[in-house]
Formats: sequence, C-alpha cells, structure tokens
Amino acid sequence: MIDTLMLIDDENLFHLVFEDACSLLDMALSIEALDSSDEADRLFKKWFPNDPDHERPECVFVDLNIIGSSFDGIEMIRKVNYEYGNGVVIGIISSSEDEEEIEKAKKVGAQFWIIKSDDIEPRLEEFKEDYDGYKNRTAPFKVYR
Amino acid sequence: MKISKEARDVLLKVAKEKRIYVEGNFLKLLEADEGDSEFQKYLDKCKEKDVTTRRKRLEITKKVQEQNKELESAAKENIRVNKQLEKALAEANTSLNDAKTAKKIAESAKSDMESALEETRLAKEEADILRIKAEQAKEIAETDLSILQKKTQTELMGNIVKVALWVIMGVGVITTGLYVFVLLYGHDSKIIESTWSNLFGILLTNSFSIIGTIMGVKHATATQNDKK
Repeated sequence: MIDTLMLIDDENLFHLVFEDACSLLDMALSIEALDSSDEADRLFKKWFPNDPDHERPECVFVDLNIIGSSFDGIEMIRKVNYEYGNGVVIGIISSSEDEEEIEKAKKVGAQFWIIKSDDIEPRLEEFKEDYDGYKNRTAPFKVYR
Repeated sequence: MKISKEARDVLLKVAKEKRIYVEGNFLKLLEADEGDSEFQKYLDKCKEKDVTTRRKRLEITKKVQEQNKELESAAKENIRVNKQLEKALAEANTSLNDAKTAKKIAESAKSDMESALEETRLAKEEADILRIKAEQAKEIAETDLSILQKKTQTELMGNIVKVALWVIMGVGVITTGLYVFVLLYGHDSKIIESTWSNLFGILLTNSFSIIGTIMGVKHATATQNDKK
C-alpha cells in the first residue's frame, strides 16, 4: 500500500472519486488532493532540499490541464523530476489520450499515464499491482487505458 | 497498529451503545491482538461499514460528476447556440443595415427620378410652349404669306384691271376718235358706226364681266377667311 499519495487536479469532484476509489482498493493510507499546480509547486519547494524525505508524498498523480494554474501537469512533472529531487513516483491522470502529450510526459520523466474516465477503479487496481515496479524504477512507462 | 486495552474497550462500548464505528484510513492501521476475536469482529464490521459508505459515496459522487459533465456539456451547447444566435443577430443587423442603405439608395433614386420627371415635365411644358409659339409663328408666317399672296394677287388684279381698263378706254377712245373723224370729214360711216357700236357694247360687257369676276373672287376669299 502507498503510504502517502498526492493528487493535483482542478476538478474537486474528482478528488472525492479518487479518494474513495483508492480507499476501496486499499491503495493508499493518506491522500492529499490539491487543485492547483502552483500550490503543489510551493509545497515541493518547501520540502526540497531541507526535508526531502519526510513530508513529500510517495506518489503523485497530476492532471494534464489544470485550469487556473500557471503551468500544466507535464511542466509540474518536469519541475519535480529536474528541480525538486526526483524522489517520487509521478505520472499523469487525464481524460486526454493525445499521443503527442503522452510522449512529452514520457520525456520529462512521467512513469505512467492513467486515462481518467467514469470507471477509474480497474485502472487504479492495475496501477496498484505495478506500483512496486515504479517505486523501484524498474517498470517501464505505461498507459492505463 | 495495535491499541491499548482501554482504547479497545472504549471503541467496543461506543459501537455497542451508540452504534458508532471507526471510519476512514485510520481503520486500515488498526490491528487486533491474536485471539481477540471480539475486536477482530469489530474491525471487520468497521471495514465493512467503511467500504459500504465509501462505495455509496463513490457512486453518488460519480453520478454527480456525470451530471456535472452533462451540465458542462449543456452549458457549452448553450454557449454555442448563443454564439450562433449572436452571429445570426449580427447578420440580421447587417442585413437590416443593408436594407436601410438600399432603402436610402432607392429613396434617393426615387427622388432623382421624381426630379427627372419634374424636369421632363417642365421640359415638355417648355417644348409645348415652344411648339405653340412655333405654331403661332407658323400661323403668323402663313398669314403673312397669305396676306402677301393676296396683296400680290390684289396688285396683279389691280394691274390687270388697270391694263384692261386702259385697253378698253384706249380702244374706246381710238374707235370713238375714228368715228368722230369719219363724221367730221364726211367719210362713209356705216362700217365704223356699227363697228363702234359693237365694239363699245363688247367693251362694256367685258368691263362688267371683269369687275364682276374680281368682286366674286374677293367675296369668295373673304368667306374662306371668315370660316378659318
């Protein structure tokens, strides 16, 4: 089970869906949901480099287009990986299936891409099974359709 | 995570008396001691309740999310329809403006046409006046010509009459002179006498005939002028 998980998504209603789905799947003990990449950026700045291991989440799910934020999910992943220490399992959760965007995410170090839909649980369950591979950095990039 | 006996008892008591059970992710941390089947049952029940509650909430949330999506879609459709309406309204306004412009042009053309018609009417009136003047001038010219012709005819007739009278008088004088000469000198007057008498009669007759003809012509001319 994932210890701490962060969701960055502008849709507050999806926060509830995600939290309940994760709880039902026994996927994470603690979930922190944010609706802005700016807020996530502020937190990561605070955690790095003084406290790189304790408060930062174990896994981060980022929406591709975060309305009301200064930058999108791909830029968020780039910042986490290249500016804040690259210490988390991180990937995109989005309703988009744009191959170009998927490639961009892969290039900045995203480890997975989960297609957001009404029936999210099967994909999260599959992700949960693959999670150890992501944590150990042995699993390849994967798109959960 | 294992909890103390006091905490365990409190949880069981609250569940029994108040039917309140531990919920949420904290529940995932709790563990029962080995052999403590009562607390294990309690934890299982808590988990069952938590899962039921979560599942219900998840279903409701999903429904709400779906409705939200439908509302967003409807809102987008509304925006699209509104844009179409705005576009149609703008086109209608443009058409209205075009129609107004066309109306103005038509009114201007109508005004020009009325002006042209008025000018035409005035030109026609002027033309009529000119025509009347021309006709009057023509009539005057014709009258003048007629008068001139009459005058010429009258003069000609006068000349003819004069010549004729001179001829008549000359013939009369000559014949009378010859007759007087014959009488004075005692020549044979029989031939000249009858000749003079005949000639005089013929001359008188011709003179009256000429005068009658001239008067008849004058009378006829006067009657024609009166008719005109």
